[in-house]
This record gives sequence, C-alpha cells and structure tokens, in this order.
Amino acid sequence: MIEQEGAISPENTLFVLLCFEGPDVYSTAGGLGTRVSELSEALAVQGYTTHLIFIGDPYKPSTEKRVDGHLILERWSQWVSKYYLNGVYDGEEQKLYDFNGSVPYHIYNEIVRPAVAQGKTVVIMGEDWHTAEVMCRTSDLLNWFGVRQKAIMLWNLNSLMSLHRINWGRLNYVTTITTVSKYMKHRMWGYGVNPLVIPNGIPTRHLTPVDTAAVTRLREIAQQGDPRRLFLFKIGRFDPDKRWMMAVEAVARLKYSGYPVTLFVRGGIEPHGTDVLRHAYNLGLTIQDVVAKRPNLEQCLEVMQHTGSPNIDIYNLRFFLPEEFVRTTYNAADATLANSGHEPFGLVALEVMAAEGIAVTGSTGEDYAISFENAIVTETDDPDEIVGYLLHLRRHPEEQERIRCAGRSTAEQFLWDQVIENLVSKLEFLARKQDIQLS
Amino acid sequence: MVADLAIYTVVHQPRRLKLPAQPIPRGASIPEIYHCIFDERMNERYFRKVAQYCYYPATRMFLDLVRKGMRLSIGFSLSLLHQAEKWDPALIELFRELVVEENVEIIGVEPYHSFLFLLDLPTFVMRMRWMADELERIFGKRPTVTDTTEMCMSVTLYDALDAAGFNGALMDGRDWVLEWRERTHLYTYSDENPYPVDIQTSRSLVGSRQSSKRLAAKSDREHGTYLLTRHLALSDDVGYRFSDRNWSNYPLFADTYADWIAHTGGDFVFLGWDFETFGEHHRVDSGIFDFMRALPEELDKRGVAFQTPSRLIEDYSKSGCAYHLPLPIYATTWAGQGNMEFFLGNDAQRTIFQLMGQVYGMAKLTENPDMLDLAIWLAQSDNLHLIQWFGRSGPEAEVSSYFTPDEWWPLGSNGIIHEQQQVYINALYAIEPYLPARLIRQARRKKGIKTTRRKGEWTAPDAGYVARHIHLT
Repeated sequence: MIEQEGAISPENTLFVLLCFEGPDVYSTAGGLGTRVSELSEALAVQGYTTHLIFIGDPYKPSTEKRVDGHLILERWSQWVSKYYLNGVYDGEEQKLYDFNGSVPYHIYNEIVRPAVAQGKTVVIMGEDWHTAEVMCRTSDLLNWFGVRQKAIMLWNLNSLMSLHRINWGRLNYVTTITTVSKYMKHRMWGYGVNPLVIPNGIPTRHLTPVDTAAVTRLREIAQQGDPRRLFLFKIGRFDPDKRWMMAVEAVARLKYSGYPVTLFVRGGIEPHGTDVLRHAYNLGLTIQDVVAKRPNLEQCLEVMQHTGSPNIDIYNLRFFLPEEFVRTTYNAADATLANSGHEPFGLVALEVMAAEGIAVTGSTGEDYAISFENAIVTETDDPDEIVGYLLHLRRHPEEQERIRCAGRSTAEQFLWDQVIENLVSKLEFLARKQDIQLS
Repeated sequence: MVADLAIYTVVHQPRRLKLPAQPIPRGASIPEIYHCIFDERMNERYFRKVAQYCYYPATRMFLDLVRKGMRLSIGFSLSLLHQAEKWDPALIELFRELVVEENVEIIGVEPYHSFLFLLDLPTFVMRMRWMADELERIFGKRPTVTDTTEMCMSVTLYDALDAAGFNGALMDGRDWVLEWRERTHLYTYSDENPYPVDIQTSRSLVGSRQSSKRLAAKSDREHGTYLLTRHLALSDDVGYRFSDRNWSNYPLFADTYADWIAHTGGDFVFLGWDFETFGEHHRVDSGIFDFMRALPEELDKRGVAFQTPSRLIEDYSKSGCAYHLPLPIYATTWAGQGNMEFFLGNDAQRTIFQLMGQVYGMAKLTENPDMLDLAIWLAQSDNLHLIQWFGRSGPEAEVSSYFTPDEWWPLGSNGIIHEQQQVYINALYAIEPYLPARLIRQARRKKGIKTTRRKGEWTAPDAGYVARHIHLT
C-alpha cells in the first residue's frame, strides 16, 4: 500500500487564488485571465475547494459557485469597479488599494479560520504584481492570528510588468515565489529571488480534434484560389514584445519574393496596432478589415468567404474570435506566428500545438518548444529568419506533418491536470519544509 | 493656601486617517468617501486597546471614588462617543453610570476635537450648542461649562463660547497669558462696567424672536462666561511626569502631591488631564491607579475639598472673587508651549491646515450637510498634533510621535506627510462632484444622452490606415 501520509488531497487542502484578472469579460485583458480561470476550474474539477478572488464585473453577483460548488468565484472591489466600466485595469490604483486593504481579512475570517477549524490546509496563490502586497499582508495577518503555519503561500509571476513596485525581500520572505518558465526564473534572479518553475497549462478541450471540413474550407478561403499561397495567422495583444513588425515584414518579403501570403491578424485595442497596420500598408500590403458581432465558427467562415476582394494580404479580424474558430485557424494555417521577443510562457504556441498547428515561437519562455521538432523557434528579430524557416518547411512537407504530430504530443504534457500534479508535488515539498502536518 | 480642588479629565479618541491615502473613485457616494478617508479598522483597534487598559479600569476607579465623595468633571469628545457607540456600547453605559453621579459634572468639548473655530466661528457656535444637546441626549445632563479643543482659548473663542451660552470655560494657565496673575483664581473676560456711550444697533437683540439658528446667546445669564485656568505644573506632574524615572520627584506619592496642592497659594487649584493618563499614558504598573485612589484621603487630611467647575464658579463669583483676565488674540492651548506653535509650527502642519480650510470651503459650497460633516472631521486637531514631530526633536516631538499610529511609521517621515496631504487632496476631488453647479450639469448631460454605451464595451481607436469594412449581419 502506498503511503498517503503527507499527501495533498481535496480532503485536506483548499485553494485560494488571488488575481486581478478572472473569468468575466470585464476581468479578462490577456493570458492571465485565461490562466487563472482554467487553473481554478481544473482544481475544482479535481475536487479541491477553490476560491478565485478577482476584480469581477461590478454587475454580476459578488459570489458565484461553479463546478458543483467546488469553484467559488469572489468578485472583489465591485464598489470601485462600478465607477470604472472599461475593464479590469480601469481605475487600477483604486482597485489595488481596496484589494490590498480588504482581501487579507476576508481570507483570514472567511476562509482560513474555518478551514483550520476543520483541520485543513489552505494554499494561497497570488498572481502577478498586483497581488504581491496583498500576499504580504495576508501572511502578516495569518501570522498575527497564529495560523500562518496552516497555509502554504505561493506567489506566481507571469509578466514583467511593474516589478519595481514589488518589495522583493518581504515577498520572498513570506511566500514561495514561482514563475512559469526557466526564462522567467532567470530574469527574476536579477531581483534576488530564485523562483520555482510551475508551467502554465491548457485545458483538455484544446486536444479535441478540430473539424477537418472547416479546416479545409478555411484553407481554401485563405488561399484565395491560389494553392501556392501561404496561410499565416498571428493573434495577441498589439504589443511590441509580440514582434508584430517582424511578422509584417516577413509577409512583405515573402510576397515580394514571389510567395504570396494570406495573414490573418487578431490584435487588441492597443495603440501599437495602428503602427503595425500603417507599416503593413506602407510596405504595400493590402489590408482587409473584417467586422462581425460575436459570430460562431460557421459565421466566421461565412464572413471570411464573403470578403469578396481578391489578393488580400492581411485580414484584420476586428471581432471576438470564438475558440473553435481560433483552433481551426491554428490547424489550417501553414504557421501561426507566435514569434514574441519576450514571452513569459507562450500559451498561444502551446494552444497551436494542441490544435496540431505549427507554431513559430520566439526563444524566451517557451521551454516546451524545440525547433523543427515540435515547433519553429526563431532566435532573432530578423524577418528573414521567419522567411527562411517557412520556405524550408514549404520544401519539406513531411517535416510539417512530423512537427504537427510532435506538437500535439508536447501539448498533452501540459494539460492542467499534469500541471496540477507538478504543483501538488511542489506543495508537498513546501508543506514538509514548513512543517505543516497534512491530515 | 487653596481650599478647593477641581479635577477635570477629557476622554477623546481621534478618527484617524487612512494612510497611505486611498484613492477615491470620481463620483463616489458619501459613505464610500468616508470609507476611503478614515481608517476605521485602525480606529477600532486603538479604541479597544485603550478601552481595555484605560477606559474600563479608570472609569470604575473614578466611579468608586465619586461614590466615596470625590468630585470630578469629565468631558467627552463626540469623536470618542461615536466610536464607543459603534464598537462597545457597554462602555457608554459605564460612562453614563459615572456621569449620572451627583458628584460628577459633565463638561462640553468641541464635538469632533476639531479646529473648526479657526475656520468658521459662527458654525463653531452652532456646533457647540449641538454638542450640548448631544451630551444631554446621551447622559441626561447638559454641560454648562465647556472646554474647546486642546483647551484652546482666545478673544474670539471666548466670545463664541459666550454666544453659545456657556457659563464657564476652561483654559490653560500659561504665564504668557496670565502674566503676573495666579492660576488659582476665577477669571472672566466679559465687560463688567457699562460703556460711557450706549451702543446704537439697527435692531434690538432684546425681545427678538428666538431661533435655534440665531447666533446671539439666549442671555438670561447675568454675567459673561467665567474662566477656570488649569494649573500647568501640578497637572503635568501627573499628566506627563508621573512615570518619568528621570524626574527628580519620581516616584510621586499621593501624600507628597497633596502637600504640593495644599501649599499652593490662591483660592483653588484646577487640574486637567487626559483621561487616558490612567492606564494608557501611564500603565497600571506605574502605580497611577493606586496614586489616584489614595489622593482624596491625603487631600482631606490637609483640608482641601473637591469641587466641580460649576461649584467653583458659583462659590467664587458670588463672593466677588472673579477677576478680569485680558485674553490673547492668538489662542493659548494646553499643548506644547501653550500656543498654536504646537499645531501650526512646521511647514507640514501649515500645509495641512491650509488643506483643511480648502476642504471646508469646498464642502460649504456643496451645501451638503454630510460633506460639511466630513470637512469638520478632517479639521480634527489630531491631524496636526500627529505631525508636530516633523523636522523637530525634543520632548514635545516625542509626545507628538507617541500619538502617531505605529502603523504609519513604515511610510517614513516624508511618506507620512505626503500621504496625509494626499488624503486631503483626495477629499477635495471627491467633494467636487457634489458642487451644485456640477450636479446640475451632470443631470442635464445624462438627460441629453440618447444612447449610452454598454458597460465594458471597448471602443477601438481609429486605425489611421486605409481599410475597408465588412459587416456581418
């Protein structure tokens, strides 16, 4: 019989995730919202009682239970958010103050105290700089009330934003710092901390095979009647870190080298988008805006098919893309350009792999990417690097298939269930280190 | 040598600000503004601590003593009473038990312990009357003698208290005010002799319709407000020096102290202390409770009788022993060196005071009573007291920093000053949307907007490049 003493389980442990972003549309600005939504859901599905405290939509219920009551969404600072309707980071300072001031007492009174009374251990995980202070204050409060030793506190870094606002010494003292890739770990050495690496994950649904008919149809649309046309896709915030300019330059160079390209782009509202598209226009690329109102996959294909204009180089998709359309596009495209110059983890590339697409990644946080094994890894910001690799793939279709298959196998190793296993093993180590007796 | 002794003690807790300053959403509701400005969690923590170590044991001690014949006068700021009502109603009951005793006189105190009188004297008069109503509501006794804030007194303050109808007022017996006079007599500042030429007024005050909003006093009093001057040295022997091991008279015992009182020249000694002297400023292990319990008997042995301020006024005014005291234009106080230097002596204090004035002015413009109330809370003297240490050292700075919440010190000296100012600036911006002109324009604009943007819906910036749009319908 395997010794179970000291093991973390849903019976003896509950989780509290702290994050500005969350599952509401109001609360989602980037990958962080996706991460915490999926991680919290995966924990709840495994049976762990999981509280997700986030800056929620001010007009939704302050508390909502999901996954048979295992997942408890706690929408925080709604009284502030009602004055700031433009999303989670509107009124950021006002929300931050309220979050820091009120969350620790809530955690102690409403979560930790009852959990301790039931003999349970509480794992508290904060995400990104917004939660650094609240983690410190929560630790202080738990310490004051003599229950700090009943909690394992982790603070995870997903981005390099506002790191100057973190009191690293204090944070490192009261929490175990983690991050999502070795690249981030190395970047954080500069702050005098040595985080544990717990990678990001993807939900199981991302491994569901995509609709091959939709893939074929989309590919035909993108080829615009020319089977030689390369089909590329790029999705993400319009942030210089994502190397949009490199991607656009590569498309132009391919075009003027006699390899026509169709590039689907889906950016955000960031001002850099204007620079990118203006640059593409100045390079002589033809741009087609596509607008729709929350379409489904079929409607997406429909609108793409009826653009009606030949020889479009860039389709600028200015509407919310449903997940199934995104995954269809990953699969249908010759490559998805996730060629970031700085990527803490690179969730997009992993999602591309899961959809059996070919990801062109950068070479920072994408620990999982091995060039010409399961992805294409660029190591410079030279557009010719993309051009060269894509033309190489074009000459070697058999490699394309191999990369697609290997990519999917890689993605299977990064399902949330696997990541949680990794997390739990680290928690058990930390519990042992903190002398926490898991019942 | 004196025959009488009056003891006055004042109970007060400040309504501390929330530092670092909490940013206030534009258009926040009034309760939300209060939530952002005041640190009620910290206030509750301090209140409970002081209640445990001081308010409960000291009140029980005084209750015991007055039942044995000691006379006591006690003042409560409404700032403290509001906290007690909210967090410990049993304490109010205990205070009430003390106040209803025949030997106890309740003394009026500026309700929020504010410097409102430096900003708006007529409103101060109204608030002092309101304070008397409130104390009568809470304790069933109406104060006829009053303290102000930090025992401030000046010409204008005197006249305001006279207008508010108080029979007596307390002030600190500072040399720079008293000059050659002794602090052991009853004083007054009113005009006792008729003017050679009658003053002509456009309307007679006598017989005019009484209105609660009128500033003129209901003058059924034959005399102006009497003044009791606190005996500084004897008060500070207990208030400050009692537990100072470096003091040449340490340790002070009741018999010695009673000797000092009994050998003081004049009519009476008037002592004034913070109530928190008992158990908070001087901890129980300093012997302060034992000292106080022993004092009445020692005084009795020496022929010194306890009195209340009202009885002193009654006794000494009737016997013609009330003397004219020229009051200063610039207020005296029991804090520091006895003048407003303690509160307005450094740049940081002067900046805060300026901000107090701006917030108060803005609040008045709103004509919103809740905003005015907020501004008066922000005019609390403690907000200047707590930063007296800025740029200074020495015993007064030590006293000031003792009162500065421990939780603030991690901000550093400059951080405290900056954040405190930020609280006032935030308050100013928070009050602004309540200005009537802005409210009217807001209402008009809302009416004028035909279609409103859905919450949370992003507006994409103009792309600035040539593109065609295809709409899916």
